Amino acid sequence: MNSLQILLLVLLAIFLVLYVSSPQRPRRAFRFARWVLLGMASVAVLAPFVWLVAAIFKDKTVLNEYLFFPPLGHWSLETMNLDNFVELFRGKPSIQGTVHFWQYALNSTVFATVSTCTQLFFSSLAGYALAKYDFRGKGPLMIFMLGSMMIPQVLLLAPIYEMAVDLGMVDTLWGLILPHVVSAYGIFLFRQACMSIPNDMLDAGRIDGASELRIYFALVMPLVRPMAAAFCLVSFLGNWNAFFAPNIFLHSQDKLTLPIILNLYVNEYSADYGVFLAGTALAIIPPAILFFALQKEFISGLTSGSVKG
Amino acid sequence: MQPIASGRETSSIPPQPSGGAPVARPRRIRQLYTGWAPYAFLSPYLALTAVFFVYPFLNAISLAFYQTNGPRTRVFVGLQNFQFLLTDEVFHTALWNTTVFACASVFLQLPLSMGLALLLNRGNDRIKGFFRLILFSPNLVGQIFVGILFGVLFTPRYGLINRVFHALFQWGLEERWLDNPNLVMPAIVLTSLWIWVGFNMVYFLAALQTVDKNLEEAARIDGANAWQVFWHVTLPSMRHVVVFVVIMSVIGSYQLFELPLALFHENGGFGPDNSALTVIGYLNFVAFNSGDLGLGSAVGWVVACIIFTISLIQIRIARVAKE
Amino acid sequence: MIEKFPYGKAPFWLFVIAITSTLVLLAVRRERPPRPDLVMVCFSGAHKAAYEHALPRFEQSRGAKVQVQLANWLSLRTRLQNAMLAGTEVPDLVEMFAGSLGFFTRGPREDIGFLDLTERIRAERLEERMVESRFSLWTARGRIYGIPHDVHPMMLVYRRDLVEKLGIDIDQLKTWDDFVQVGQRVTKDLDGDGIIDRYMLNLPQNGNWALESLLLQRGGQLFDEHGRVAFNSDETVEVFRWYLRQTLGPQPIAHDCGWRQPLMKAVSDGLALFFWAPDWRTYEFQDGLPLLRGKLALMPLPAWHPGGRRTSVWGGTGLLISKATQRPDLAWDLAKFLYFDREQMGRLFADTNIIPPVKAAWNLPELNRPNPFYSNQPLGRLYADLAAETPPVYSAALDAVAHTKFDAAFSRAIEYYKDHGEQGLDQKIRSELSYAEAYLRRMEARAHNLLAKE
Repeated sequence: MNSLQILLLVLLAIFLVLYVSSPQRPRRAFRFARWVLLGMASVAVLAPFVWLVAAIFKDKTVLNEYLFFPPLGHWSLETMNLDNFVELFRGKPSIQGTVHFWQYALNSTVFATVSTCTQLFFSSLAGYALAKYDFRGKGPLMIFMLGSMMIPQVLLLAPIYEMAVDLGMVDTLWGLILPHVVSAYGIFLFRQACMSIPNDMLDAGRIDGASELRIYFALVMPLVRPMAAAFCLVSFLGNWNAFFAPNIFLHSQDKLTLPIILNLYVNEYSADYGVFLAGTALAIIPPAILFFALQKEFISGLTSGSVKG
Repeated sequence: MQPIASGRETSSIPPQPSGGAPVARPRRIRQLYTGWAPYAFLSPYLALTAVFFVYPFLNAISLAFYQTNGPRTRVFVGLQNFQFLLTDEVFHTALWNTTVFACASVFLQLPLSMGLALLLNRGNDRIKGFFRLILFSPNLVGQIFVGILFGVLFTPRYGLINRVFHALFQWGLEERWLDNPNLVMPAIVLTSLWIWVGFNMVYFLAALQTVDKNLEEAARIDGANAWQVFWHVTLPSMRHVVVFVVIMSVIGSYQLFELPLALFHENGGFGPDNSALTVIGYLNFVAFNSGDLGLGSAVGWVVACIIFTISLIQIRIARVAKE
Repeated sequence: MIEKFPYGKAPFWLFVIAITSTLVLLAVRRERPPRPDLVMVCFSGAHKAAYEHALPRFEQSRGAKVQVQLANWLSLRTRLQNAMLAGTEVPDLVEMFAGSLGFFTRGPREDIGFLDLTERIRAERLEERMVESRFSLWTARGRIYGIPHDVHPMMLVYRRDLVEKLGIDIDQLKTWDDFVQVGQRVTKDLDGDGIIDRYMLNLPQNGNWALESLLLQRGGQLFDEHGRVAFNSDETVEVFRWYLRQTLGPQPIAHDCGWRQPLMKAVSDGLALFFWAPDWRTYEFQDGLPLLRGKLALMPLPAWHPGGRRTSVWGGTGLLISKATQRPDLAWDLAKFLYFDREQMGRLFADTNIIPPVKAAWNLPELNRPNPFYSNQPLGRLYADLAAETPPVYSAALDAVAHTKFDAAFSRAIEYYKDHGEQGLDQKIRSELSYAEAYLRRMEARAHNLLAKE
């Protein structure tokens, strides 16, 4: 792999040449350097992804022979095939019967989407209420909410688990979703977004005879769609990739979500890691789709909370 | 239609300045609505918070003074949990590992993110968007999945990372990153760099947009070189974001758990010689493997106090730095 | 319609997916196949295969459906414990490895998720019908929770051809002192290149299982019958010292021959003459070294003192029944069937050389047949004769931690020995053991808080 070292030396040489050619205004040299550095960072970031895609299609026997993909001339059913997926989708026996990979994906989907939708609804509703209404106890409530945001979630995990066992909520998906349906963070995000809605519009709606809920749905929410999209994405990512809480709450094999089962597969398939890598690759796809669809809103939503301090 | 309650403020136009043309400057008054609606809208939050936050929070306070075996059996032990934590060398190792990781996060990761943000700031929007997308993408992948993937990338001789290091530095082809206690934390830091550098870069990039270019130009004209411009003009303007990112980074570092768990799956996230154990990993082991939810609560309180203290210190430092 | 959705396009699709996936999930849940009457989990593929072979007979005679599953112990152990503590679904029977019971018995008795089998065992006099010492693995605080699957007595397998050529009389190797004396004569560098080519005995460098086996043979213990740590004793110091001397001393007789392939090679090369062999290891040699047929033989372990115990133990599995099972009697019958069925036990021995702990089965023809690989010795008979002497191995809640500390203490002793030899060695070993013991006593004290209610 000394070609890599040669490549680096060539790049350095080009930079030096550009620099030397006009030392007073080294703009071109620096622009070149910027591109090279950004390119290197991008390659470093993308390499594991490429490796993952290559690994899941490579046959077990040649997994370590080629760093990424085999050279085109060597592509054949012996070197590249779908064996990993076949093994991944095979049902595994458990106390609850045979469980297949799609069941875990289904559990993850239900958990992530239902959580996100309920969080979206309740957080935006509460955020709008805090932004555009005045009522007794508003001040103390906001202070309370700010304070609650400073408590790390992990502190409450043990007592919530105890409570879940007592209430029979343990080992169920709804028992996992319910405690996290509203978060102060989401409420504040929506409060911020709703603050900039002109009051006159709301009053006009009230004069027209709309109920408060109707105003919320028809007037307010359409205006904060970017924030809703950003929130959805963050929420979905968090719920889809969640491991700690589901791992504790879910016991039965057929209720497990993707992060949990793939972590278990690492032990089971420790020699045959193409299988769980295939599962990992599949698990990355839904968040990736959502992210590509919503990236602009996401970035703006992410940073809006911080830049304004 | 609900009557508007009497708490309504009326808008008023400030008195005209005498002897001049009247200037209308309507103040923006909030005409806020009162009634049952806000209570109704907030009721799910209030109900769920009472049940799933307030009650567990109070429970967590008392739970720390108990020792339990699973969720149903408990025994009151007073301060014994905290005494145990004070003397348990495994907990101290976890605390040390986590602190080392937090320092690496702040002093290694953030400058890298800042550097990338500065590099990216010059380009036009499309280039910015393109690289931002690429560099941010690792964040999509959950920590567990990253751990699973990188556990394989660190394979001796065949792993991607070993081969790249060998190609670049002629070192490390056979290094057992995940078996050598000295290389474990660097492996974890390297992986977390991959995940978080792009994430923090996005924050810094957004903050850089708000920096006043004229100020920078003025400083440059005054003869400051690039580094001085950055340190004395750019960075202070981004103060809020930097403090925010640092605090978030530290808080996130102290909650590191899923990544080492997936990297060191054979022994439950402890790593060789406990070198990968973090505070939350310790909590998970104590509370949910060994069944002692009480001790787990005590650990949770220790973590909360540490995070709280560090956040306070950082805010204080930031305030001092402002002057 | 999508345009009119208040939250926007992406949230709309999320809502749609949420609703459809929930409906699909509910439909799938409703269609779960009926649970078999008994679900059993085991961690060894070989055991599962053996049980599945015999199950149809049981299912037919009882009209019940039984399912045996293979699981990964690491993943399942914690999940099983949490499920038992929280009351969620668990298998009816669990077959687990020696040393695992402690994990499940750390709390008060009502929290132990397994059925207390003491009364049933006493009623059917199983302790007399089986090797009694094996129940120690499955006993916690005086109550028995599992039935042992095996005995695993230890013998030494040796290269009969080489030993006879050297003029060693096996009958004279009655104690370890005799053994070491002969060993020092035998261990030598044969071709003058400075590397010893022939050792007397195979011993792993870092202690591992061999250290514990030797300690048990000597009468020492890692835990006492109450599950408390008991390795800070004179016996342990002596075994440590002996072990260090034989592996690293000025006149070593032992070498670490490794596992699997390297071990096989060591046997066939004669790198060592004597090898540790619990019953299952004899099958590994038999299977992997066809060329040595007739050249290997077995002898009991040399005793620590004249007339002392000539065997030890290593590992084992046992079968436990969940407290939450709906059919405890059926489960008990299945356990007895799997572990007492003569045909099962005969086949197990034929396939693996593992002798059953059931005394009545020792007269099975398979066990008494001469084994041509091992110089026509009746392998099963030899192991069975030693079975009654096997030392008990007590279970403890701190099993895993204690093993880690024990191994760490020995590692430090190794380092000390390499630097200082035997000078001050005993004190060093003692201090390491005391340090480990103190740490574990603190944890025991904590565990005791939970037991105070009993």
